[in-house]
Amino acid sequence: MNPATWTHQQRVERTIAAIALVVLIIWPAAGWSPYWAHQILIETFLFGIAAASLIFLSAYGGMISLAQTALFGIAGVILGNLATSGGAGGTSKGLHLGWDPTLALVVAIVGTTAIGLIGGAVASRNTGIYFLMITLTYSVIATYTLGQVTKIGGFSGIGGINRYTPGWIGDLLKHPNRLYYIALGTAIVVYVLIRYVVRTPFGVSLQGVRDEPIRMSSLGYAVPLHRTLAFGFAAFLAALAGVLYVWWSGQIAPGNVDLPETISLLIMAVIGGLARIEGAWVGAFAFILMQNYISTSTHIPLVGFGGTLFGGSFNTVIGIIFLVVVIVSPDGLMGLWGRVFESKRETSGGG
Amino acid sequence: MSALAARIPSREQVGSYLTWRRLPALLAFGLILFALVYIFFLAKIPADNGATNWRTTTFGSAYHDPSSFLRVVLDSLTFASALFIVASGFALIFGLMRTVNMAHGALYLLAGYIAYEVQQKLNGSPGISLDTGQVNTWDWLVPLLIAAPIIMVIGLIIQQALLRWNQGQELRQALITIAVAVIIADQIIAHFPRTVSAGAQRFGGNAVDLTWPGWTDRFVNLHVGGVQYSLARLDVLAIGVAVGVGLWLWLYRTKTGMKIRAGVDDEKMTSALGINIQRTFAIAFMVGCGLAALGAVVWASQSNISSGQDGQWLLNSLVVVIVGGMGSIFGAAAGALLYAFVANFAATYLPSTGPDCCTQYSTIVTFVLIALVLSFRPQGLFGRPG
Amino acid sequence: MRRHKLRGWKSAAVLAVGVVAVAVWATSSLAASHAATVKIAIMTDCKGAFGFGYELDIGGAQAAFAQYAHGKPTNRAKPSAGMTNISVNGTSVQIVGYGCGNDTVPVAVTETKRLMEKLGADVMVGPLSGDEAVYVANYAKAHPTKTFIIGTAGSEDPTMQIHPANLFRYHGDGAQWNAGVGEIAYKKLGWRKAAIIIDDYSFGWTSGAGMILDFCAVGGNITKRVFPPLNTTDYAPFVRQLPPPGQVDGYFSAVGGTGTSAMLKAYEQAYGALEPSKWIGNLFFGFLGADKTVAPKLVGAYIGGTGTGPGLKTAQAKAYEAVIKKWYGPSKINPADLFVANYYNAGWALVQGLAKSGGQVGAALQAAMPQKLKEGYAVSNGGYATLDSRRQAIQDQYQLQLVKNPDGSVGPTTVAYVPGVDQSFGGLVKPTDPPYGRTVPTCKKVKTPWQGKIKIVKNGVITSAVYK
Repeated sequence: MNPATWTHQQRVERTIAAIALVVLIIWPAAGWSPYWAHQILIETFLFGIAAASLIFLSAYGGMISLAQTALFGIAGVILGNLATSGGAGGTSKGLHLGWDPTLALVVAIVGTTAIGLIGGAVASRNTGIYFLMITLTYSVIATYTLGQVTKIGGFSGIGGINRYTPGWIGDLLKHPNRLYYIALGTAIVVYVLIRYVVRTPFGVSLQGVRDEPIRMSSLGYAVPLHRTLAFGFAAFLAALAGVLYVWWSGQIAPGNVDLPETISLLIMAVIGGLARIEGAWVGAFAFILMQNYISTSTHIPLVGFGGTLFGGSFNTVIGIIFLVVVIVSPDGLMGLWGRVFESKRETSGGG
Repeated sequence: MSALAARIPSREQVGSYLTWRRLPALLAFGLILFALVYIFFLAKIPADNGATNWRTTTFGSAYHDPSSFLRVVLDSLTFASALFIVASGFALIFGLMRTVNMAHGALYLLAGYIAYEVQQKLNGSPGISLDTGQVNTWDWLVPLLIAAPIIMVIGLIIQQALLRWNQGQELRQALITIAVAVIIADQIIAHFPRTVSAGAQRFGGNAVDLTWPGWTDRFVNLHVGGVQYSLARLDVLAIGVAVGVGLWLWLYRTKTGMKIRAGVDDEKMTSALGINIQRTFAIAFMVGCGLAALGAVVWASQSNISSGQDGQWLLNSLVVVIVGGMGSIFGAAAGALLYAFVANFAATYLPSTGPDCCTQYSTIVTFVLIALVLSFRPQGLFGRPG
Repeated sequence: MRRHKLRGWKSAAVLAVGVVAVAVWATSSLAASHAATVKIAIMTDCKGAFGFGYELDIGGAQAAFAQYAHGKPTNRAKPSAGMTNISVNGTSVQIVGYGCGNDTVPVAVTETKRLMEKLGADVMVGPLSGDEAVYVANYAKAHPTKTFIIGTAGSEDPTMQIHPANLFRYHGDGAQWNAGVGEIAYKKLGWRKAAIIIDDYSFGWTSGAGMILDFCAVGGNITKRVFPPLNTTDYAPFVRQLPPPGQVDGYFSAVGGTGTSAMLKAYEQAYGALEPSKWIGNLFFGFLGADKTVAPKLVGAYIGGTGTGPGLKTAQAKAYEAVIKKWYGPSKINPADLFVANYYNAGWALVQGLAKSGGQVGAALQAAMPQKLKEGYAVSNGGYATLDSRRQAIQDQYQLQLVKNPDGSVGPTTVAYVPGVDQSFGGLVKPTDPPYGRTVPTCKKVKTPWQGKIKIVKNGVITSAVYK
């Protein structure tokens, strides 16, 4: 981390990141828009973590996974079933085991990671479109299981989960800024963790598996094992995002893991850029901004529910934006950003 | 004697076969074997006093009630036909251009709604579902003949404008077609159905349906086990078989088909031989979209068309093509048969111990089996490895 | 090198300024609140399965504000264009936003938070759908100072199992809507044994529960329950599990809009032509577009209502319909539509509550919300629907029949009036019971409060004859 060795692009990026981090840390204390703090930014942090799990798999494992929302939902459902307690006036679905919330939290994260490892093992010999397909079946199985197996869920989902937070976190409903800092902290930790994992021997050999699976196999590396572990790690990240989500919204339902939500997460990751981890939060932020401001905006002509493009709704707009992004820059916004510096480098003759 | 002894696997051979890697395969085969034994022999109808156990199903075993079994088999075959019609279009595009056309479902939906509008106008109907008595064969064919070319042209536009210049970038094409699918699906909701009766909800993607011609509305006596089967469903089977035969003839007996097969095998070589591979791509894409339209007209007559089915049929096509094996028509047929049989048999022969179990879990069971099949056969049933 | 350094710092500075500007703008977008203004939000769906309900819901609620709170519609052909000048006894009321849900929980989460936290609404009128209402009920429990009046949601849980003190529902749930239809099947059609096919989904279970409770209460027996999962492409295997026509007297259907005609077609192809006297459906047989695919085959079949009585000719109903037409006639919203009627009732209840609480919100408003409401189609109790101990309406229900009109069109008409239906079905359902599902409710013979009291409605007039 020697600043002298940083490229120009890295210098700019790290400056921006430092400023952004300062702004984010002081945001709630500064009293700026609580709506932004408690909705847009928290959503950005947690969906960014989920998108980061997807981008980790795609950038470093060469696997596009559509199962990340399913794992996100599974973590929320496990936590909901274990932490909530039932009875009249309580939440009406789920097992309501009423465990200690800290234990429930640990079991949710460990359980989801375990499910991820199993799923990864089953899918470890599939690549490309076949891997996408098998993760899509996981997503479908999760959607139907969460909805139809009413002992553990049901279609309205499990509610009120944010009333059962661990003691060392306290009441998140009375102190919403705590969730803001927890989410921000987790996002930073996740980012640093991914950057670290990628540099470990496992991470390096994973990238080798991504590029040349046959050669790596002939060199004696267990290719399926690498893929399984990578999927398990991504499941761990998705579990963190899922837990943050249920603490934020209180409810987890099959609607959180169905096909449109899976596509939304993919859109977030693609808009941000599938090749760089930073793209996860950039893409999540862009998507959530659009969702919040465009879908009901009446200021911008032709957009917003009053007079939408060709009569369609927010989906047409997001579809067009997504199409433009993929056509112009398949590496998303981070790819565009990188190209700005490439062209600068070229025009300045590599100075 | 020694030849026979040499055939019997040794302990090491058996041991090396039963590794962890084989677990999904063993699991899948084991489940299917157990399911077959269960369906044929173990299942029982509920006892007279209403008691149920794990062996109770709605119909009982195939041995006990062959007529019901035959009906379910026919249901599976006919559903597989419909799946095959739609999925073969997807397989054609996927196999030749390695393009995962995620807009396949949206085009299916658009075809269904256009055909509905045409059939309603032809009959002068004010947006009310038609009775089979009001529909003759021409009233059913004309909507198909109008919807299919429209969809083929739209498909051609999509291919030329958005997919031609990034040929080979599979992920990018998949993402582009996802975006197109989202846009088309949203526009369908905004503009269809247009022909609705007075006071009814216009637009919004409500459910509407097509109607089969009147002569299909009868039962055919199959003379086997006293089974009477719907002629309309047999028509679906006939159309599916015709599509299969037609595709086979086209791909294996015509010049264009030869070019397509050559392109599937080795695109660069085919192009180097001077064959206009771009034109072949365009034709194949159009035919693929046309098949989606045909499938939509068939299934909208059989059932209905409504928003949300685009995602359903895209998923169906993906499952069929990938389980069957990338890009081969035989693979699409095999995938369709496997998917339809598992889905239908799960929905009828899973235990019925009570309202809470288990036929409503047929979707979960189907997809678990599909995941297992994909796991031990990553390239699909009839796909080529690598 | 130096120029690059400067450029790097420049772009960073520009970005920092941009971030601060966005923060300031975002902060300022929070509307400055006047101390006395009451802020309300109307939560509805603008996409998804019930996206068409947007204008209907907003029109219904705003018609109530126009009639009773001096509201002025901005555009009488388009309710969502807004309404101004709403005031209750001098307290100004402002509609801060319309929620744009899509029937699923995740969007309900973001929209509810946007309306109640960003826009700072004190009261929510809504939501539209069942699953969204379960989330809103849980949210209400966590935010006791806000008040929530459900729009049209048919789920049982919000008022039976969750029942927060700040949540009100002035209409029946999905089970209440079907009360009476089972008794008509038993008495008028002579059904004794029936099978039921239900969407394997929360609203399906709730709607089917109403049919099962009612039919079993009068002595009928449900011999088989079939549950096709959502997004079933081929209904044939599920229809085959229904007993053949010889083994049951009839079939109940709680299959939703996208699957209704598919399921019926599959039935025809398995068992032959549909007989109207052997089929009873829930609201999806008669509304939301499915009536045009179902009705032609099933003219004469009875169908479950939604708490409104289309075509009812009582003075109160006519007065209510006139109010809707007066304010939003050009928008062509149908007053008998459940979306319009239920949001209208919610809006009017809110106005009465604010009048009684003197413009205060929070606990004062919750204490002041009316315990009985003069709803358009209410007849019993002097023309009032009343709230029970969990703030759930006890409401008159109307059951319908599909008929062919003289002009050739087909549609539902009111044929039965069921007085005073409560959510517990006369004590059959208790808050400690698990929510409606596949095995709940069981089939029990019991005397419901309206048993033997269902009056025949002919040409919009409630006769004194009961169904025997």
